[in-house]
Amino acid sequence: MKRRSFIQNSLALGSLVGADLLLPHLAFAASPVKVGLMIPMSGPAGLFGPSSKNCGELAVAEINARGGLAGRPIELIISDAGVPPAEASQGALKLWKGQQVEAFVGMHDSAVRGALVGVFKGQVPYIYTSTYEGGECSPGTQVLAETPTQQLEPVIPWLSKERKLKNWYLIGNDYNWPRDTNAKAKQYIASAGGKVVGEEYLPFTTDNFDANLAKIKASGADAVLITLVGGASVGFNRAFASFGLADKVTRLGTLIEENTLGGIGMQNAANLYSSSGYFASIDTPAAIDFAKRYGAKFGAQAPALNALAQSVYDGFLLLEAMAKKSGSMDPKKMETAAEGIRFSSPRGDTTMHQRHGKKDIYLAKAEGNGFKVVKVFKQVDAGKNCKA
Amino acid sequence: MAYFQTAKQAASLLTLALCLVAVPFVTNDFRAYQLGTYLLYGVVAQGVALVWGRLGFLPLGQALFFGLGAYVAGLLFIHAQDNALLYLLLPLSILVPALLAYLVARLVFAGQYVSGPDFSLITLALTMLGAQLANQFTGLTGGFNGLANIPQLGDLDRYSSMYFLIVALVLFSTALLSWLYQTPLGTLWLAISQNENRLQFFGFATDKLKAGAFALSAALAGSAGFLYAAQQGLVTPQAIGFQLSAELVIWTAVGGRFGPYGALLGAVGIGLLSSDLREIWVHWEVLVALLFIAVVLYFPGGMAHLLLNAYQFINRRSGTHVPVYAVAPKTPGLRAPPLQSCGGDSGPVHLRFDNVSVQRNEVSILNGLSLAVEHAGVYCLIGPNGAGKTSSFNVLTGRLARTSGDIFLDSQRVTGHRADVMARAGVGRKFQIPSVFNGLSVTDNLRIALWSNRAQARQLLESTTRQWRTDMLDFLENTFTFLADQADKPAGELSQGQRQMLELSMTLLAEPRLLLLDEPCAGLSTAETQQQIEVIVQAVSRLGSTALVIEHDMAAVQRLSNEVFVLHQGQLLANGTLKQMQESPLVQAVYAGGQK
Amino acid sequence: MDSSTITLLLNLVYHVLVLSLVALGLGMVFGMLGVMNMAQGEFLTLGAYAMVVAQRMQIAAGWGILMAILVTATLGYLIERWLVRPLQTRPLDTLLATWGLSLLVRKGIEAVFGRQYQNITQQIGGSTQIFSVDYPSYRLALMLAIVCGLLMLGLWYKHSTAGTRLKASVANPVLAQAIGIDVKRQACMAFVCGVACTGLAGALLAPLVRVEPLMGMDYLLGSFFVLVVGGLGSLSGLFAGAGIIGSTQVLVSTMLDQTYGYLAVLTLSIGFLWLRPHGLLSNR
Repeated sequence: MKRRSFIQNSLALGSLVGADLLLPHLAFAASPVKVGLMIPMSGPAGLFGPSSKNCGELAVAEINARGGLAGRPIELIISDAGVPPAEASQGALKLWKGQQVEAFVGMHDSAVRGALVGVFKGQVPYIYTSTYEGGECSPGTQVLAETPTQQLEPVIPWLSKERKLKNWYLIGNDYNWPRDTNAKAKQYIASAGGKVVGEEYLPFTTDNFDANLAKIKASGADAVLITLVGGASVGFNRAFASFGLADKVTRLGTLIEENTLGGIGMQNAANLYSSSGYFASIDTPAAIDFAKRYGAKFGAQAPALNALAQSVYDGFLLLEAMAKKSGSMDPKKMETAAEGIRFSSPRGDTTMHQRHGKKDIYLAKAEGNGFKVVKVFKQVDAGKNCKA
Repeated sequence: MAYFQTAKQAASLLTLALCLVAVPFVTNDFRAYQLGTYLLYGVVAQGVALVWGRLGFLPLGQALFFGLGAYVAGLLFIHAQDNALLYLLLPLSILVPALLAYLVARLVFAGQYVSGPDFSLITLALTMLGAQLANQFTGLTGGFNGLANIPQLGDLDRYSSMYFLIVALVLFSTALLSWLYQTPLGTLWLAISQNENRLQFFGFATDKLKAGAFALSAALAGSAGFLYAAQQGLVTPQAIGFQLSAELVIWTAVGGRFGPYGALLGAVGIGLLSSDLREIWVHWEVLVALLFIAVVLYFPGGMAHLLLNAYQFINRRSGTHVPVYAVAPKTPGLRAPPLQSCGGDSGPVHLRFDNVSVQRNEVSILNGLSLAVEHAGVYCLIGPNGAGKTSSFNVLTGRLARTSGDIFLDSQRVTGHRADVMARAGVGRKFQIPSVFNGLSVTDNLRIALWSNRAQARQLLESTTRQWRTDMLDFLENTFTFLADQADKPAGELSQGQRQMLELSMTLLAEPRLLLLDEPCAGLSTAETQQQIEVIVQAVSRLGSTALVIEHDMAAVQRLSNEVFVLHQGQLLANGTLKQMQESPLVQAVYAGGQK
Repeated sequence: MDSSTITLLLNLVYHVLVLSLVALGLGMVFGMLGVMNMAQGEFLTLGAYAMVVAQRMQIAAGWGILMAILVTATLGYLIERWLVRPLQTRPLDTLLATWGLSLLVRKGIEAVFGRQYQNITQQIGGSTQIFSVDYPSYRLALMLAIVCGLLMLGLWYKHSTAGTRLKASVANPVLAQAIGIDVKRQACMAFVCGVACTGLAGALLAPLVRVEPLMGMDYLLGSFFVLVVGGLGSLSGLFAGAGIIGSTQVLVSTMLDQTYGYLAVLTLSIGFLWLRPHGLLSNR
C-alpha cells in the first residue's frame, strides 16, 4: 500500500510542482497563507483521519490551482484533534501563535470545538464541518456541519409516510449531541403523527446491547432513531439484525457513514437508512467528478470517501469563497463576508446564513454494496441556531 | 537509590529553577504555556513516583485526584465570580482528593502486610468510575464537553504570567519531596517497599504510613489540577480518566520513578515530545512503547537513573569520587530519647497462652496450647518439626488467626492484635530466615530499629534523629564489629550469618520486653553461634526482658536457658529444666519417633 | 413464562457464558500463573482478525479458527519466553511490560489492516425457535460450544494426569520441581494455552461484535473484574465471577438502564477488590 501511494503522491506532487513552475509566476507572487486543519489522527475517531487528510489535500491543491485564497497559495498544516481537548487546543495554539496560521478548518467532536472556540475567541476564522448538535454561535466561527434540524425535519415526515412508521424508539450515547438531536426529533415525530415509545442513553463503554434490543422489541416500536457513535453503532446494529429485528423495524441514523456501514455489514443492514449531507454514492455530476478526482489523486486503495472526510473539502471551499468575497484574510472582514455566501460543492449548493449552511440533505438506504440515495431534500435550512 | 546531601539538593533545585524560569525568555510565551501544562502533569507524576518508586505500590488511577482537583477548582472559580466568598473554599481542591486517597488507602490496606495488585485494580476501577460520573452529571461537570469558561486566576494571564505560578508549584513539590525522601520518614518509606512485613514488627503502622503517602500524592495531584483549571479554562472528563492515568505511569516509568526529578523528566520529556513528534513521525507511539518495555525490562530506574549513572561515571573518570550512598558525617551521636511505653507495666512481662487452637480445614496447627511465662530471662521452645513453635509466635503477633483460646500479655487480652500493635506493646520478633531491609545500608537498618517505639512523628522529619545512639547500640557494635565496619553496605550484600546477627541486633535495639527469637543461630558457624548466644544472654539480662527462643541445637539450648518448653503436635508436651526434659520418657519417645 | 422473560434469561445465560469464555484465558494466565497480562485483550483482537484474513482468503471459517489458535499460541510462546519469564518475580513490571506490548500489537494490527471496522459474516445465520422464542442461531450454537468446552476442560483438569501436574506446579512450584515436574514448561504451556483460548474467543465472537484494532481493551478490563470477583485459580471461580458480573450487568441494564449497569459492575468490582481480594471461591 505504502509504496504505491508514495509513488502516486510523488507523481501528483511532481505534477503540481511542475504546474507551479509552468504557470505565470505572477499568480504566486504573494506569500502563502497557512491554514490549519484540525482532524482526528488518533483516538476513537482516528479512523477518519486518513480520508479527511486526503480531502484536505485535494481541496488545497485545487484551490491553489485556481489562485489560492485572495491570491495567496494555501500552505496546509495538519494537527491532531483526536487527542483530549486540552492537547488539541494546545496544538491549535501552536499553529496559530507559533506558526502564524491564519484560518482553521476543523472536523472533530464538540468537546474539542468548545476548547478551540475558547482559545480562538473570534480572532481567527474557524470553520467547523462535522455533524453536530446545533447552537454554535461564537464569533469567528462558521459551521458547515449538519444540524439535527437539517437531518431530521424533512426526513422524519417523509420516512414515516414512506414506511408507515408510527412508534419511534430513540437510542444514543450519553452526551449532548444525541440528547439535543432527540429533543428536536421528538418535535418532528409528533408533527408527523408519530409517537415516541422509548428513549435511552448509553455510556460509551457499552458493548452488550441485548437489554436495549429487548426493550425495543417489547415497546412495539416500528422505527429506531440511532444516535450512537463509533463502535457502539456497529455493535448495536449487528446485534439488532441478528435478533431478526431488521425486517420488522426501520432504522434511521444521522451519523452512519460508509465506514460504520462497512463494520455493520450489508447482511445486517436491511431497512437501515442514513440521513446526511453527503454519501460517496451520490450520482450528481459534481459528486461523481469529485470521486473521480479523489481516486486520481490518491489511487484506488485510498481510504474510502465518507461524509465526515468530504466535509473537510467543503470547508476549504467555504474558506475560498469567504476570502474571495472579503478580499483578504482579515478575521473581521471574513466574518462579515460569510453571511449570504453561496458556493457549489460535490454535495450541491450551500448558502451561509447566521453562521450555518443551508444545503441539500440526502436520505440513503443501505442496499447492494453500500448506500443508495432514495430521496434528496434540497436546500434545507439549518434551523434557528443563533439570534440574528 | 541514592541519598542526596542537603547542599546537593539545593544545587539541583536551583538549577531546575533557573532552567524553568528561563524558558519564556529563551523561547517564547507559547512554548512556556505548553511546557506549563506538562509541568503540571509532572507534578502529578511526582506523586506517582512517590507512591510507586518509594513505597512500592502502583496507582493506576492517579488522574482521578488530578481531575477531581481540577473540577473542584474550576467550579469554584466559575461561581466565585458571583460570590467572592467561594475563593475561601479553594483549598478544597487539594483537600478533597487527599481525603479521598487517604480513605481509599486506609480501607484497602487495613490488615494487609503486602501490597498486592488489588490496590492497583481498585484505583483503576475508581478512575473509570470517576470518568463515567464526570460524563454523566452534565449539570455539575458539563458532561462530555467539559466544564468550560473557567476564568483566569486573578490577574495572571494564562498565556504568560500563569507559567511562573506553575513553576513555583513545581519547585515547591520537588523541594518538598526531595526533603522528605532524606528524612527518617523517607527511609521508612523505602523500608515499606522492601519489607513491609518486617517494618510492622517494629511497631510502625504501615497502613497509615502508606495511606499518608498516598494522600500526599493526591494532594500534589489536586494542586496541579487547581492550576490546570486556571491555565486551561476547560476541564473535561479526560482529565479524570484512565487514559491520562496510564500515561502518567508510563511517563513516570520512563523518566525515572525513584525520585521527583525523574518524574518531571518523564512527563516533560516524553509527554511534551509526544505532542510535538506525534504528528511528524507516525511511529512515535511505537517508539515510546518500545522504550517503555526496555525500561521495564532493563532500566527500572528510568532515564533519570541512566543520566545519574552517566554523571557519576564522568565524575569518577575525572577523579571526583561520588559515593553511591552518602556517607553521613561522623558526628558524635545524640543520646536517643527514652522508649515510649505503650501503657504497659515496667516489670517483667507476663505472657499466657490459654488453650489456644488454630484449625485450618482438617489440620490442627495448634491444638489447645497453654503455657505461661512469669519471670524475666531466656526460655527455650523445643520440639520436633511441625510442633507449632513458629505458629505460636505467629498467633501471638497477629500473623495467624486463632480458632479458639486466648493470649494474655500482662493480664491484658491481646488475642488477634496486629503485629504493629504487639510491637508497640513491647514484643519484638526475630524471624527464622533473617528478614532485614536488603536495599538499605546496615546503618539504616539499625536506625529503623532504634526509632521503633522511640521516635515520635515530628522526630521522623528531623535529620538529627539519624544520629541517635543508645547504650545497647554501643554494646552491639562492640560485639558485632561488622556493624560499624560495614556500616554503609546494603544489608542484602551481607553474608547469611551477618544478616542473622544484624537482625538480632535490630530486634534487640528496639529493646522489647518480650523477645521472640526463631532459631537465631540457624546457618551460623560454631564460633558465630557462640557469639550469638552470648549476645542474647547478655542483652536479655541488660534489658531485664523475657526471651522465648526456638532452638534445635541442644548445646545452644543448654547455654541459653534453664527452662525449656517442649511442644508437640500443637500442644505443650512438657516443661521444666533441660535436664528434666532430657530424662523424660515422654519427651524421648516423641523425639525418637516412638510415640504419636 | 412470557417471551420477554425467556429472552431475558437466554440473554443472561449468553452473557455469562461469553464472559466465561473471554475470561478463561486470563484466568489461566493471571489466575493460575499470576501473570498480569495487560495484552490479553490484544490476543482476542488477533483471533478476530484471523477470521478477517480467512474471510478475505475465502476459505472456510474452521481454518480461520485454526489460524487464530496458531497465531496467538505462537505469539504467546514468544512473549512467555522473552517478556514474562524474565519478569516472573516482578508482577508489577510484568503488568507494565505487557501493557507496552499491547500498544505494539495494536499498532501492528493498525498498520496491516487499517483502523476501519471489519465485518465478519456469521456462519450460522437466522434464528431458531427455542422455548417458544426466536433466538439467533449462531448465539445458541456458541453457547452450546462454550458449555461443552468448559465441561470438557473441567473434567480434564480434574481427572487427567496432565491436569494434576499443572495443579501441582501452580500450588507449589518448588516442590513440584523437586519431584521432577518441569515447572517452567508447565508454566509456558499454561500461558500459551491461556492466550490461545482468548484467541479462540476472539475468532468465535468476531461475527457478533465490532472488529477494529482497539476492540481488546474492554474485554481485558471486563475479564479482570470477573476474575477478581469470582476468585483466581479455579474454573468454578471463573464461572462464579462471570455469573455475578454478567447477571448484574444484564439485570440492572434491563431493569434500569445501561449506565446503571456499568456503574453497578464497577461498584461490585471495587467492593470485591476491597472486601474479598481473593474473590469468592479462591484456591490461593
